[in-house]
Amino acid sequence: MGLDILFKIAGVGILVSVFHTALKQAGKEDMAHLCTLAGFTVVLLWVVQLLGKLFNTVQDVFKLF
Amino acid sequence: MLKLIGSLLVLLVSSYIGFNMASRCQERPRQLRQIITCVGSLRSHIIYSCLPLHEAIANSTNGIYGPVAEFFQQVANSLEKNASLTPQEIIKKVLSEMEGSLILKRPEIEVLYVLGGNLGVMNCKEQEKYLSLVIEQLERFENEATRLRDLNTKMYRYLGICGGLAIVIILV
Repeated sequence: MGLDILFKIAGVGILVSVFHTALKQAGKEDMAHLCTLAGFTVVLLWVVQLLGKLFNTVQDVFKLF
Repeated sequence: MLKLIGSLLVLLVSSYIGFNMASRCQERPRQLRQIITCVGSLRSHIIYSCLPLHEAIANSTNGIYGPVAEFFQQVANSLEKNASLTPQEIIKKVLSEMEGSLILKRPEIEVLYVLGGNLGVMNCKEQEKYLSLVIEQLERFENEATRLRDLNTKMYRYLGICGGLAIVIILV
């Protein structure tokens, strides 16, 4: 854990925005939306893992079983 | 260190693929233009100089270089050598041999087949009409290809570089 995951998410965000612009300029709006969705999904996978960790920690701290 | 080298390689390869696709995109209208020039010149050779077909085709590539010239030269050579084959069969054979270097899509290839089927079976006047029709069709395809080139060239470059960056970020 650390700052690197944040930078990764930021990098994916920037790249997805570039993809979106490039595809939109080429007239492929559907592909642009698909691309945004794919980027969102990838980031969501990372975030969900982190959230799972967070909930586990909360359970451990408050002894909720 | 290993990660750095790997990501550089991924980046290089994806950019290469992107630039390659962009250059293919740029090449297509150029080749179509050359084919139009060749067919126009073939029309003149058939109508005004009344040359035999293989000579007319060989002469029609004057001043044109690259895969298109090679295609017409090969068609002319095969026409001269294999008198038993029709022009259509020869064009089909040469097109399948040169599939990699000629960047043509389905409709252009169909027009070229039909061109082969109608070469040398009518008189000069009908051939002139027919070749003009072929040129008109090819010009329409060329306009379409130019439009696609203007749209897609930049997109392929961006997608190549950014796709590589995305793979690197996701994997590292």
